Amino acid sequence: MQGLQVQLRSANPIRLEAEFDCGAGELVALVGPSGSGKTSMLRAIAGLWTPADVQGHIRVAGQAWLDTAAGVQLSPQQRRAGLVFQHYALFPHMTALANVALAAGPGWSGADVQALLARLGLAPLSHRRPSQLSGGQQQRVALARALVRVMPTPSWASTPTHLPGVLLLDEPFSAVDAPTRQALYRELAALRQKVSVPMLLVTHDLAEARRLADRVVIVDAGQTLQTGEPSRVFASPRNARVAELVGIQNHFEGRFFKDHAKWGRLRWTDAAASDTGLDLTVFDKNKINDGTPVTWVLNGEQVDVMADGEVPNDARPGHTRLRCQLLEVLSLGEISLCTLRPEALPSQTITLNLTSRLLRRLQVGSGDWVQLLIAPGALHIMPVRTK
Amino acid sequence: MDWSALHVSLTLAALTTLALLPVGLALARWLAVTAWAGRPVVEALLLLPLLLPPTVIGFYFLVAFGQGSAVGAWLAASGIRLVFTLEGLLLVSVLVNLPFMVQPIQRAFAAVPHSLREAAWVSGLSTWQTFWRIELPLAWPGLLAGMALTVAHTLGEFGVVLMVGGNIEGETRTLSVSLYDKVQGMDLQSAHVMALALVGVSLLALTLVLAFDRVGQRGRALQER
Repeated sequence: MQGLQVQLRSANPIRLEAEFDCGAGELVALVGPSGSGKTSMLRAIAGLWTPADVQGHIRVAGQAWLDTAAGVQLSPQQRRAGLVFQHYALFPHMTALANVALAAGPGWSGADVQALLARLGLAPLSHRRPSQLSGGQQQRVALARALVRVMPTPSWASTPTHLPGVLLLDEPFSAVDAPTRQALYRELAALRQKVSVPMLLVTHDLAEARRLADRVVIVDAGQTLQTGEPSRVFASPRNARVAELVGIQNHFEGRFFKDHAKWGRLRWTDAAASDTGLDLTVFDKNKINDGTPVTWVLNGEQVDVMADGEVPNDARPGHTRLRCQLLEVLSLGEISLCTLRPEALPSQTITLNLTSRLLRRLQVGSGDWVQLLIAPGALHIMPVRTK
Repeated sequence: MDWSALHVSLTLAALTTLALLPVGLALARWLAVTAWAGRPVVEALLLLPLLLPPTVIGFYFLVAFGQGSAVGAWLAASGIRLVFTLEGLLLVSVLVNLPFMVQPIQRAFAAVPHSLREAAWVSGLSTWQTFWRIELPLAWPGLLAGMALTVAHTLGEFGVVLMVGGNIEGETRTLSVSLYDKVQGMDLQSAHVMALALVGVSLLALTLVLAFDRVGQRGRALQER
């Protein structure tokens, strides 16, 4: 069995309910707000933190690092976890070379370590101490130190084999400036071409997760809420909390009805019990019962904007036309952040990122009316979580 | 200058420092990282010699190891005498110097970020290797400061020396006790020389302590960058 499998459950000192995996060569991002427990999960994998009441297992490349049922618990030294700490935790009294050589196994010679540093562009800096390196350079030394830990021998570059370790990155890009971060993103991408090892990235930056990860794991209050490809999780969050965590702007309440033959009807109301509302046409996937209170998300990328009074020249099945007033237009260069108020439900507002070009073409600005053409696929409906 | 007293003082300072270093190192490292609830009690006990009059310590030492005590009698039967000997002086000197040795080392170990220990562990270093290769090299300014303070304090100790060691030439008469004798004997010329020597040594030791402390702070500042 390749890759990393994690299943952990504990109640003290913090609640932990983690279940996810990461294939060899895959990059999975643990995403969540600070204090959500994502770093604790990383530390649990490295063996630095094991709650006394923990139940479950951590397996890497078929080897159990933790298995409470079998009574297995390896020490951090026995686990091959290459951990890049948030502030790198380089040894300040050692050179870059010594920092990396210290973590290298017996299969590594000094020349091998030097070659690895050269590959990461650190050759001229290998005899400097961490205090003489920039943030980005320190980060690369920390990455090299983590890499030698997951590679028993330096022959990895010529024969890309599956390695018996896991690479753990704890917010590694948070302490460097934006240009350095871009360079490090590229290096990480290049590294992934060469090293077939599960890579786990902890971040609170959604854009970063979306950009780097093959899959994301949404973490909140010690719990892994949803796992999937970034585009899927961001487009169809499993529940309202996930939607909130992934920063979806257009997040509303309503009620789902099945009183039409072909389509579902989403009744958008300003409060759960309110009579005022408007109807939107949605797909009926037969997953939600008639009359169920729901929370729902509008994906702005699947919404078209037309001039007020314009009639669409092709009949698109299931599309809802919604007359809205532009309350506010914030121009951010090419993109304008627009706040719109539906005529039929003036208590609610929709936020859309529209191109400034489109607004110029429609000749509309703040206070003007437009029509939204909402595709049924733009609406993602979730049952309200009942406690 | 009382050369024999200088010799006794330097011998006592060197032996105290050597004997105290491993004890102080172990205690300081433990205190720096332990989460044990009883830690403040241990720390208070270690600081006690700073507050107590030297006479109190000397008195309890005599009570514990004098001929009248069970321990003293047992030691005497084994041919060991601690009262009014250099050995006894060394024992009590180690005790009263504990805070001077432990405090700077403890602070130095506490200043080593825990993430460095963890980084060493995940890099495959055992706790023992982590101590030798990571913690000790980072805490060495604290060790030097502790040693310098111990030397300076031992040279300057007076009350305890007088009570425990008496005033035996070549055995327990230290520079500070000899200075007291000279003043009593109105030999102010010799007193001046010895006082100046003590001031010089203490000043040197304190300067070293502060210099090491600055090195330690610079190291910590670099780690936090």
